[in-house]
Amino acid sequence: MKRRNRLVMIGFLGPAVILYVTFIVYPFLSSLRYSLYNWNGVGPLTNFIGLKNFSYILFSRDFSPQFWNAVVHNLYFFVLSMVLTTIAGLGLAYVLMSIHERPSRWFQVIYFIPMVVPPIVIAYLWSMYLEPNFGAIPTILRALHLNALDVPYLGSHALALPTIAVISAWAGMGFPILIFLAAFISVPEELFDAAKVDGAGRWRTFFSVVFPVIRPTFLSVMTLNFVGAFGTFDYIYIMEGTQAGPDYATDVLGTLFYRTAFGGFGTTAQGVGLATALAVLGFLIVMIASAILVFLQKRAAVNL
Amino acid sequence: MQAKRPWIQYVILVIYALIVILPLLNLVFLSFKDLAGIAQHPFGPPATWHWSNYAQAWTDGNLLTYLVNTAIVSVLSVFIILLFSSAAAYVLARFEFRGNQLIYLTFLAGLALPIQMIAIPLFILMKHLNLLDHLLSVVLVYSASGLSFSVFLLVNFIRSVPRDLEEAAFLDGANHWQVYIRVILPLIRPSLTTVGLLNFIHSWNGFFFPLILLSNPEHMTVAVGVLSFIGEYATQWNLLLPALVIVMLPTIIVFVIASRQFIRNMTAGAIKI
Repeated sequence: MKRRNRLVMIGFLGPAVILYVTFIVYPFLSSLRYSLYNWNGVGPLTNFIGLKNFSYILFSRDFSPQFWNAVVHNLYFFVLSMVLTTIAGLGLAYVLMSIHERPSRWFQVIYFIPMVVPPIVIAYLWSMYLEPNFGAIPTILRALHLNALDVPYLGSHALALPTIAVISAWAGMGFPILIFLAAFISVPEELFDAAKVDGAGRWRTFFSVVFPVIRPTFLSVMTLNFVGAFGTFDYIYIMEGTQAGPDYATDVLGTLFYRTAFGGFGTTAQGVGLATALAVLGFLIVMIASAILVFLQKRAAVNL
Repeated sequence: MQAKRPWIQYVILVIYALIVILPLLNLVFLSFKDLAGIAQHPFGPPATWHWSNYAQAWTDGNLLTYLVNTAIVSVLSVFIILLFSSAAAYVLARFEFRGNQLIYLTFLAGLALPIQMIAIPLFILMKHLNLLDHLLSVVLVYSASGLSFSVFLLVNFIRSVPRDLEEAAFLDGANHWQVYIRVILPLIRPSLTTVGLLNFIHSWNGFFFPLILLSNPEHMTVAVGVLSFIGEYATQWNLLLPALVIVMLPTIIVFVIASRQFIRNMTAGAIKI
């Protein structure tokens, strides 16, 4: 019996573990190793340089401004998407909870649709709508005589990044809405009744009854948003190119990594060692932030 | 919980629904206009519906090849993820052995890994395996990276279910394989369909890995294939827009078909995070 159990275990667990170790764990460990070498990707790994790639990224005059520029943009992306997710996602889920179930389901389906549309379509669609000469949005703005708002959103140093963050949030809002809604639904009815008996209004009910219960969910969504913000690549690559224009105003770790590893329009690759070191730093940032958020989430769940 | 003024809530919900739907609907309208129509009337349904846009985009854009390739990648990835993760989750949730927690946590850690971060070793690995520019490379990456989320969800789901049914089946003389097929799989079906749909969409829309792992247009998936089409036909919007509509339709159709069950599962807590 014991031996048969062992065979069952290996048979059931084996395929998943082999696939995962080969294509996730092993490449991850390789990343750690490559990051310690000066290596351009071909030939043997011989030129061991310790942590020099890391100090070059973090402190050198040539590279570190690009690195910090990108990290700040990732953080900016995270903060803006968190603000939008909280206002729109949490707000819409709260409103959805208070209407009848049938229409609520219809709205949920509609809100999820942009999430299933390929990023290439979303990115191109909004580039077209924002095109300064005959795009739909400038046309509306001109028709309404709002000339002050008729600016090249994707071509402006100050506006390009927030514009892309808003587009990305527009596309991704369906998931947090459903997650929040599921959390709201799981709030026991008695709590609402108790709040009513105590004479709490709508806002009061939300902040002192509902929000504490869904705080773990809120922190999960925050974690997802953080991982998402630090993995941002598609929209920026498609809408602003590998140079993350204008003048690196939309450069994030993803595009910086891509240029460092593979080169790109007008640049040459700077080496695999350096690029993997960049990747490892990105992973550390995400890992530390997730660990903190998961810790807070566990504490919030215990305090319930 | 009923509100005092329900119409305000409907106004809010309808406005957001329009914000979501109108840009996509207008894309469909634009895709039927000719070049002059797109530039002069950037909104609303076309005066005449130019179906020929679609015919030309279909033949010029190599779209059938891209669609077939993408379907292969998505279907295979989803199949592998569901099969491997459900079997693994059964063992991780129900068997006690040394290393159980370590394996579970290793899968879990993958959730915090921005997958681009391991792109270079994956590229090198695929080169050694002779899989560069082969659809299978993308399938393997999506399957492996999809396991984290799926294993995490399914383990928690199975752990939350009492063992009674399984024990009854064991008493009837069933073995582990039969218990997995007859008890576990039906039990976790809502989670499986939800995970399957999310992974289908994810691998259909995936951009980064096809971009770096595939190069021959004959092996390209839609997300990247259309990008080269855009590069080539930069200003011929009357061909680009139909191509974009064709590319976004499959996932929308699959989602709408599955949406009833998907939404029900989601709000019933099939995805607990």
